[in-house]
This record gives sequence, C-alpha cells and structure tokens, in this order.
Amino acid sequence: MEVLKEKVEEEEEEAEREEAAVRAERGEKVVRPMEVRREEAPMTQEMLRDLEKKLSDIEMAIPEKLSTFTKDTIDISKLPLSYQSNTLKEEHLLQVADSFSRQYSHLCPDRVPLFLHPLNECEVPKFVSTTIRPTLMPYPELYNWDSCAQFVSDFLSMVPLPDPLKPPSHLYSPTTVLKYQEGNCFDFSTLLCSMLLGAGYDAYCVNGYGSQDMCQMDLTRDVCPLTVKHQEVVQEEEKVPPKKYAIKPPRDLTSKFQQEQETKKQEEIKAEEERRLREEEERLLDVEKAKTDPLHGLRVHSWVLVLSGKREVPESFFIDPFTARSYSTQDDHFLGIESLWNHKNYWVNMQDCWNCCKDLVFDLGDPVRWEYLLLGTEKSHLSLTEEEEDGLNDDDDMENLGKEDEDKSFDMPPSWVEQIEISPEAFETRCPNGKKVIQYKRVKLEKWAPYLNSNGLVCRLTTYEDLECTKTLEIKEWFQNREDMLELKHIDKSTGLNVDYFKPGHPQALRVHSYKSMQPETDRIMEFYDRARVDGLVKREETSKTMTEYYRGRSDFLSYRHVSFGDRVKKLSLNSAESNPRPIVKITERFARNPEQPADEDVAERVFLISEERIQLRYHCRDDHITASKREFLRRSEVNHKGNKIVMTPDMCISFEVEPTEHTKKLLYQYEAMMKLKNEEKLSRHQAWESELEVLEILKLREEEEEEHRLTISIYDTKRNGKSKEYREAMERVMHEEHLRQVEAQLDYLAPFLAQLPPSEKMTRWQAMRVKDECLSDFKQRLIDKANLIQARFEKETQELQKKQQWYQENQVTLTVEDEDLYLSYCSQAMFRIRILEQRLNRHKELAPLKYLALEEKLYKDPRLVEFMKVFV
Amino acid sequence: MNWLYDSVEPRVMDEDMLKLAVGEQGPRDEAGQLARQEGILFKDVLSLRLDFQNILRIDSLWQFENLRKLQLDNNIIEKIEGLERLVHLVWLDLSFNNIEAIEGLDTLVNLEDLSLFNNRISKIDSLDALVKLQVLSLGNNEISHMMNIIYLRRFKDLRTLSLSGNPIAEEEDYKMFICAYLPDLVYLDFRRIDDHMKELAEIKHQYGIDELKQRENLIQAQLDDERAQREELEEHKAAFVERLNGSFLFDSMYAEDVEGNKLAHLPGVGQLLQAYKDKFVIVCLNIFEYGLKQQEKRKVELDTFNECVQEAIQENREQGKRRIAKFEETHLLSLNAIRDESEVTNLEMKVAEHSKDITELFNMLMTLEMQLVEQLEETINTFERNIMDLVALFIENVQSLMAQCRDLENHHHEKLLEISINTLEKILKGELDEDLPYDVRALFVDKDTIVNAVGTSHDLHLLKIDNREDELVTRTNSWCSHLVDAIHKDEIMRNRRRVKEIHQYVDHVRNELDNLECSEIID
Repeated sequence: MEVLKEKVEEEEEEAEREEAAVRAERGEKVVRPMEVRREEAPMTQEMLRDLEKKLSDIEMAIPEKLSTFTKDTIDISKLPLSYQSNTLKEEHLLQVADSFSRQYSHLCPDRVPLFLHPLNECEVPKFVSTTIRPTLMPYPELYNWDSCAQFVSDFLSMVPLPDPLKPPSHLYSPTTVLKYQEGNCFDFSTLLCSMLLGAGYDAYCVNGYGSQDMCQMDLTRDVCPLTVKHQEVVQEEEKVPPKKYAIKPPRDLTSKFQQEQETKKQEEIKAEEERRLREEEERLLDVEKAKTDPLHGLRVHSWVLVLSGKREVPESFFIDPFTARSYSTQDDHFLGIESLWNHKNYWVNMQDCWNCCKDLVFDLGDPVRWEYLLLGTEKSHLSLTEEEEDGLNDDDDMENLGKEDEDKSFDMPPSWVEQIEISPEAFETRCPNGKKVIQYKRVKLEKWAPYLNSNGLVCRLTTYEDLECTKTLEIKEWFQNREDMLELKHIDKSTGLNVDYFKPGHPQALRVHSYKSMQPETDRIMEFYDRARVDGLVKREETSKTMTEYYRGRSDFLSYRHVSFGDRVKKLSLNSAESNPRPIVKITERFARNPEQPADEDVAERVFLISEERIQLRYHCRDDHITASKREFLRRSEVNHKGNKIVMTPDMCISFEVEPTEHTKKLLYQYEAMMKLKNEEKLSRHQAWESELEVLEILKLREEEEEEHRLTISIYDTKRNGKSKEYREAMERVMHEEHLRQVEAQLDYLAPFLAQLPPSEKMTRWQAMRVKDECLSDFKQRLIDKANLIQARFEKETQELQKKQQWYQENQVTLTVEDEDLYLSYCSQAMFRIRILEQRLNRHKELAPLKYLALEEKLYKDPRLVEFMKVFV
Repeated sequence: MNWLYDSVEPRVMDEDMLKLAVGEQGPRDEAGQLARQEGILFKDVLSLRLDFQNILRIDSLWQFENLRKLQLDNNIIEKIEGLERLVHLVWLDLSFNNIEAIEGLDTLVNLEDLSLFNNRISKIDSLDALVKLQVLSLGNNEISHMMNIIYLRRFKDLRTLSLSGNPIAEEEDYKMFICAYLPDLVYLDFRRIDDHMKELAEIKHQYGIDELKQRENLIQAQLDDERAQREELEEHKAAFVERLNGSFLFDSMYAEDVEGNKLAHLPGVGQLLQAYKDKFVIVCLNIFEYGLKQQEKRKVELDTFNECVQEAIQENREQGKRRIAKFEETHLLSLNAIRDESEVTNLEMKVAEHSKDITELFNMLMTLEMQLVEQLEETINTFERNIMDLVALFIENVQSLMAQCRDLENHHHEKLLEISINTLEKILKGELDEDLPYDVRALFVDKDTIVNAVGTSHDLHLLKIDNREDELVTRTNSWCSHLVDAIHKDEIMRNRRRVKEIHQYVDHVRNELDNLECSEIID
C-alpha cells in the first residue's frame, strides 16, 4: 500500500479531471474507465529492488496446521444444488463482475485485483455478495451487534489466510463455516455480516488491510476488556446558586499571600510527580512495544463495517470479527480498504488510504469515492440522472453499453447459500468443543460452555504480573447454574484473599464472602442480601478477636453490633465435648433513630462492658441540640458490707440528661431500666453466640457446596432435565400405546373373509351371506377356544395345587418352618390364581353370547353387506 | 345485677382507697421496696383496678393523668363522670354497674376498648369522640331499638361488638342486620363472623344499606364542600383580600343604604348601577388577584428565609456535634488516665491539662454559637427589610386600586345626582310618566332632600370602602410586625437554649472531673 501513499502529481490530476468531465458528458455511468485519484508516480527501479529485498527478508510464519478445513474434508455431495452450480442469473452476474474487473484492472493497473468471485467449497465461482445470506437468528440474544459479533468470534476458531498478502482463493458458504466451526477472516466477516444484515443493521463486509495483531488475532498486546475498570464518572456537583438569605461565612483571617505560595509549591510538586509518572509509563510502553512489522500495510484482512442510520446506530464503526470488538473508523489497526460489499452490491474504494482509514468517507452514494458494481441500489442516488446519460451513450464500447442496459434491470441474484441455522445445542456450546482460550496482555481468558465443567465454571480470567505470564497475580472465575448460586470467585494471589460473589438465592442469603481461610474465627467478611434475611443482616466482619455486624431495616432499629471476644478460657472439665465459646468482653450496639420515641428516650448506642459489669447508654441527639443524654449503670455491688442485698443506690446510675426530668431521677425508674438492660444484655449475648454458630454453619455449608458443586437445571431445559425427560418419554409411550389401541380398534373384522373372495368382482348375495356366516362362526370358534383355554389353565392350576397339598400332607411332619412358609405362600398364590381364572371363565361365559350377538348386529349394519341383508330381511 | 345494692353500703372513692389500690397493684419485690421507699405519684400510674369496691360515684381520679387502663367493674356506679382528665385512657371497664346512659366520655379520644357490659343502658350515643374505638361491649343492657346499630357505623376501627342479652338480640334479624350494617366488624358476641354470613346479610339488606350509604355520602360531600370553602376563605384571609373576588364589597355598600336602594328605582339609574357595579367588581378583582400574587411572593420569601436559617442552624449544629464527639473521645481517655495515675504531681498536671481542654471546648462551642448569632442577625435584618418593603408596596398598590373604587363611586354619585335633580325637576313640573313607589316619591319633595339623600348614600359607600381599606392595611401591617417579632423571639429563644445546653454540658463534664479528683484525694 505504500504506493497508494504517493502523492498525485498536479498536472496529471488536472488532465484527469478534464478527462473525467468529458466522460461525464458522454454519460458513462456504470464504470468510469479511468480512475481520477488513484494514479500515482511510477515505481522507480530502486523502490522495486528495495521492496523485493524487503519481501525476501520476510519469513513467512505460516502456521503448520494450515487448515484441516480444506476441500477434501468437506463432503460436497451432500450440499444442495445451488452450491454446486450457478444459475443463469448468477452466470450473468459473474460476467458482469468479470468485465468490471477487467475495466478496473485496465484503469488501475497498479491496484491488486478485486476480490469478486472466489470459489466456494464445490469449486464453483460465486460472487461475494451472494455468499452473504441475511438471516435473523431466532435467539433474542443475537439481536444486537455486540452479541452477534461475540457469538461469531466465540463460535468459530480462527484459521489464518493461506497467503497473508492476498485474499483467499476460496470463500465458503456461512453454513459450511458454521458446520466446521473454522474459518479465516473472510469467513468470519461473511457470517457476521449475514447475521447483522438479518438483524437490520446496515452492515458491509470489508476487504482491506489490517495490522499484524489484528490479522493474526494476536491479542497479547491488548489489554483485556474484562480487566479494564470502569472509570467512575465523577459527577460534578451542581453549584447551587447562593440563596437569598444564605448566611455569610465568617470572615477569613488567614493570609492570602501565604496560601498562594503554598498552592504554587504544591502544584510544582505535583507536576514533577506527573512528569516522572509519564516517563515511567513511556518507558514501559517502549518495552512492551513489539518490533515493527515488515509487512505493515500489506496484510490482507476482512472485517465488518456498520454504517450509521439503521437500528439507531449513531456513528459508523468497524467490527473486527475475530475479537468481536468495535473500533472507530479512525482506528490505527485498519490500514486501508480495497472494497466492500453487502448482499446487494459491491463497492470499490477510490479514496487514498495513505493515512490508514482515517480520511475515508463512507458515503457509498458518492461515485467519486466509491465505485459501485451494480446500479439500482439505494446508495447510488448521487450518480448522474438517467436522462442525461441515455441521450449521450453513443460511442461507448459495446460491452459497456450492454452492461448498462442490463444494469438497469439487473439486481443482485438471491443468495445461493442455504438458510443459516444454528441449533440450540450449538448455540449454547458456542465455542468449538465448548472451550476457548484467549491470551491478552498479562491476561489469559478461558471460556467454557455451560454444563461442560461439572462445577459450573464458564469463564476464567487469569491475570499475571509479568508479560511472560508466569507469575499469577489474580484469578477470577465465573460460574453458571450453580445450585449454591455462586457467580464469581475472585482469588487474589498476592494477598491470599478469596472473594466469592453469589447471586440472590443462596440458602443463607449470602451475597459476598471474602476470606483468607475457611477456618472459623479468622478474618472474613460476609455480606448478605438483607431483604432475604429475617434479621436484616447486611454484613458481618470478623477478625480473630471481634465480630461486627451491620443491619438494615429492623423493627428494633438495630443497625450495628460489635462484639469483642476475650481469650478462650481453658476448661478443665472432661465433659467439654461441646463447643467452648470465647468469653464476650464487650458488646456495642447502635440503633437508628426511632421516630416514634422522643430523642431522650431513644437509645443510640448501648455498650455492655461485660467483664466490668457496666452498661453504658447514649441516647439520640434531639433535633435542635448538640449534646445527647448519657447514662451509665454499674451492676456490681449486689451486696453491701453488712451482707444485705442492695437493690439500687443513686451512685449505681450516673446519668447526664440534656433536659432533666423528674421521673428519670427516681430509683424505681432506674431500677426498672437496669433490669430491662440486664435482660437485653443476656439477649445480646445470646445473639452474638448465635451469630458465631451461624458462621460455623455457613462455613460448613460452603465446604459441602464446594465439594458437591451441584448444578441446577431449568425446568424448561428439556434436554438436561432428567425428570422432565422421563416424564415426557412416559407420556409419549402412553400416547403411542393409545394410538396402537386405536389402530387395533379399527381392525377390519371382515377383511380376512373378504380377501378370500375373488377380487374386483361385485359381491353376490350368496357370497355376502357366506362371508357373514363365516365371520360369525369364526368368532364363535374363537370364543369357544378362549373358554377352553381358560378352562384348561384353571384345571392345570387346580391339579398342581392338589398335588402340592398332597405332598404337604405327606411330608407335614418333616417340614421346616421355612418350607412350611413357602408352601403356605404358594398355596395362597395358587388359590388367588385359581380364583381369578374362575372369575374370568364365568365372565367369559356371561359375555360370550352378548359379544356374539353384538357382532351379528354389527355385521347386519356393515356397509359392505347391508344391501344384501336388507333384501334378506 | 344489683344483688349487693341494698345490702352493702356504698363506699366513697377517696385518697386512701386510691393509695391502697395503687400500692397493691404497684411493682413487686425489689422494685416494690424501692417504690415504697420513694412513694408512687398518681400521675405515674398507668393502670388501675378498682373492682368490687361498692363505689357509687367516680371521684378523685383527676390526678391519674397518664392512666392507660382503668377497671371500675362490679361496682354500683350510676353515672359516668369524673373521667374528663384521663385523656390517655385506652381501656375502660365499667361493666356490672348501674349506669343508665352513656355520657362523660367526650374527652377520651384515645379510648380503644370500652366495656359497659351488664348495665341499664337503653340507647347508644354520646360516643362520638371515641374515634379509635375497637372493642365495644354492651351486652346485658336494655337496648331495644335496631337503629342504635346505625349509630355505630361511624367507628371505622370497630372490630368487636357484643350486644347479646339486650332486647334487640331477641329479634330474628339481629345478626343479619348487624353484619350488613357494620361490614368491618369481625367479632360479634364473642364469635367470629364468617364470610358467608356477611355475604348473605349484605344481599338481604342491600337496599337499606345503599340508601344509607347514599345519605352518608351526601353528608360527607357537603362537609367536604364546606371545609374546602372554609379553607379557601382562610387562604384569602391570609392574603388580606378575602371576599374581594366578587361583588361582596359592592353589595355590602348597598346593604345598609336605604336611600341608594330607593333611588335605584329612578329611570336610568338601574343601568347606571349595573355599569357601576361591573366596573367596581373588576377593580375588586384586580385587588384580589394582586393580593394573592403578593401573598405568594411573601410566602416564597418567607420559605427561602426559613430554609436558609434552618440550613445555617443545622450546619452549626453539626459542627458543634463534631466538636463534642471529638472531645468525648479524649475526655474518656484522660479520665481513665487520671484514674490510673498515682503520683500526685503528675495527677495534678493531668487534671489541669484536662480542665484546660474543657475550657477550650467551652470557648469553642460558645464561639460557634456567637458566630451563628451574628450571622443570623444579619440575615434576619435583611429579611425584615425585604418583607417590610414588600408589605409597603402591597399596601401602596392596594390603596391606589381603592382610590379607583372611590373615583368610580364619585363618578356614580355625580351621575346619580344629575339624574335625581332631573327627575325632581320633572316631578315638579309634573312631567314624569312613570310611576314611582310611594317611598321613593317621598324623597322628591325639594332639592335639599334629594341632594341629602344622594349624599348620604354616597357617604355610606365611601365609608364602606374606607373601612375595607383600613382593615386590609391594619391587618397587613400587624401580620408583618408579628412575623418579625416572632422571628426575633425564636432566635433569642434558640440562642438561650443553646447557651444553656452548652453550660449544662460543660458543667457536667467538670463535675465528672471534680468527682474524680475528690475521690482521688479521699483515697
């Protein structure tokens, strides 16, 4: 592409323009024979040599396993006819394309041949536009471009182009590509373009030049999108205009000059710091930057262009089908465009790509910038009007003329590709074999299909410290369909901190669990879905000596509880098999304001100093006060020096009241308050103890869950849900049996007798009578047979029973208990059988005449026999 | 019911009886010991039981201000009285007495549970004040008329009702009727009403209920209307332009004007009067609208002011709280340190240091407060100026509009005079064709009479206008001065409260320190 970067000489351009004007008058419309801008200085010998040398230096790093995806692996015999041949219209189109290509190469001899009609899997040339088959996928997930692109990039594995400097010779249909889940960039973009067009986007396949990283899908120098943290948008606080009566701030008496000096100094330091940081960054970047690519600008790549306008796309952008990332049209990775096409038309880029794609204008209706192949699409509205041209096409060459005429009535033939279909299984599995690994800069991303891993792992992101990916920094694992609702596991190797994130629905309403070890009484933080919990617990933080709990939305307004534990007292007693809870030293509880109580009676903080036997209360602050009431109870001196029990003395309660009232001074009041507090202390201790138990329980549960890691299966998932499958199969079986029975019911009872008659003759009355009689007698015989059968069985059973009884009576004395039992059970069973047989026989005897009569009746009414019967009757 | 009535002597509810009851029913054990030590005040008692005491007359209960529950069952009370002060009462049991009429309950707005079982009541009424009533027990009484039930419809929270043992309970329709007319009721005569029953009852009495509901709705709508009107008038009054949105002032001018009304019969005066009225009403409406607008403005002004002041106070308060919180941390630490210190010199040094801290806190808080006072003063002054200006402007403009009214009146007066004199001349000449009422004709005796009559009417009108104007001006001014006074007073009160609070707190902290010192020294 360097050649393209050459500046066009002024004179030539001038001449060209004149020529162009003349041509325009002649009314050339379809293909302007000469290119205006694309003329460049002739290559000098030196340049050629230079280039040759350069090219010879390049070692082609074509991968070994070039493609298992070659023609011989594809069974072309099963492909439909449209794949194996061209229709007339397609042939015609190919001719048009050929002539276009000829003119193009004639006019722009220095440009590479156009990528117009590569061979398909059946070695049939097909025009690229017809290879696109716009399809809207039946999955709602594939309605937007980003998910479509992600699907394509996940679903297919990438095969490099056979020759990185040329477009491929073959372009397979999207269906084949989907089937084999492999393809080069052209296959990728054709498939993606088909899906996007189906979803209503204004999308185009692009044949152009990309950077090495892009062409080889080398992401090792890219930052993984998953690791990029969302920059928090700092919302500028709206400056409220000072209100009319806003108070004036107190006068500032500090020196302005000193402040200024101070800020100056600060700024200098900051600037210095920034500079240093920038340098550091640059140095790092230099290290990371790979050696420049010698083939820069020559590597052929194909990607997708989405133009603005449809589906509320505000701005045109590129999608790289390999990585599913979107880029702006100004991006550095895209170095030039040769041509682009959608299912309707084909456009050749006539703009200079010396500055990559940055200056390109994607106005496809502009014939100066984009040369189109077919007329008549909506994008060609900028071309000259037809009247002008019709009158002036006298001395064009015949081919051109012919083509123009055709063009007016010629539109793109329908796609030869079969409907693109993705089975639900394939859609769910996504990646080939359900597994994909992508290497980013310092990051490895692994993806799995759901249910592939038994623990529900679907994605793992490993971050490394160094570029060579040897030292692991952190691991993030995403899970799906776990019964314990585990969603994400974050392991920080540097700190050893594990953080588990859960979706709503964990049996203990766990939301986040961050821990270093699963041992109890170590540092851990558990966060909960507080609305799912009865006690409204939001968060519980634990260290080895403390436990802090945060609550929300409780009816008793408790919002915080902090428990400090002392050292565990060693129990000497032997029966300490039970848990030995640590002694509680201090419990601090904080309460939110209860609006129904006056502030002076609403406790804000309650501290139980259990070891000191003290209780401290701090009340809420009144709305217009700055101090809050406090009260402290000492519950130590239960017995005075005389040995009498002291109930309450004034110095057992020290209180500060914002507004002293009379009744709170009373000992009775204080005594009652203290009694209440004592009870509450007990309760709080109990709750702390329960919390500890709960932690243990959760830990146990977590361990169990980790071991079991069962997966949930949706009741709508008919494939995996064993129960529903069984049920469905049973239903089907029942249905089938039902069907069989119906078929049986419809059996023709006359068929065997009618078959005996000579065919194709009308039945005589005599014959009819005979048929009837035969049928009846046959039925009678059957009934008798049946009765005999039952009778025979009955007799047999009876005989056997009698034999057995005889045997028993003979050997009764010598029999063991077991044998006797055996005999008895046999007897009862035999009796049962006999009884049933007897019943059956009786029933048969009863029913047989009825059945016989019924058949006779039926025969009388049978449509085939009825006329003869009538006469007979 | 009254098996004891004849044989046992009634007792008087006196101090001793109450004391005894309170003592008996008060706290037990250790708490009781304390209670005896200190004595129980009647106003601290929450619940009192006085059953089987042969009380004839309820008395001496006025001290039990905070009583929640009162049991006076199984006495021989004949009249409900003496309960007016017990406004917090939630539960009142007057069963098994000899009460004949419900009365004396008008102040017990918090009452939820009322038992009048086994009395001699024949009519349910006088319960209007008991809006929170949930449980009403009226069994074994002498209620005989079904219409008493309808009275109970007004208690929206009533869920439990017992009426068994009354004559009405004998009626066959009794249950159905109650279920239909009291659809929110859950328990009747200690039994749950099942839904099926409710449905049946509803169907049975549908017509009656519909009619009743219709009537109730009408009354409700009327009440609502009245309230809305009253509110509107209040609003207008606040804007000082009430009744100026119509011809009220004009009508009032002619209400007492005998001559003016008589003169209206003159030919041509009717039209003149109509035109005059229209113009006058337009001016009045102008005043009215202007008044409302100004009121809105004043309100906005006041709101902004209040908001700003509140903000300032709030911020100041936050600062104060922060200071105190910070101090409290160090305070606890240093108290502990002092407690643990054994050496006298060190101790003294620490005490001194801490007392310095306290002083510093005090100074800081006071500085904050004084700063706020200054700031607020300035703001209040600004506000005062502005509101005064607003009011002055309002008055000025209203006065100019009133002047228009007066001009209209003068103009009308001239016209009327002219017509009157013309008419007089015609009458004198005997040219008048129309018949005038006798009393009107009596005015047209001579020129002086008629001029006087017209003049009187005119004066009266002017007086009315002047009065209205004066009223408006005085009220506006007084509102303004009241407002300003109130703001000043509030601010002073606030300041005093805060200073008191600071002193109190600092004293408390000092005390704590002193106590510690004392105990140290004693030790």
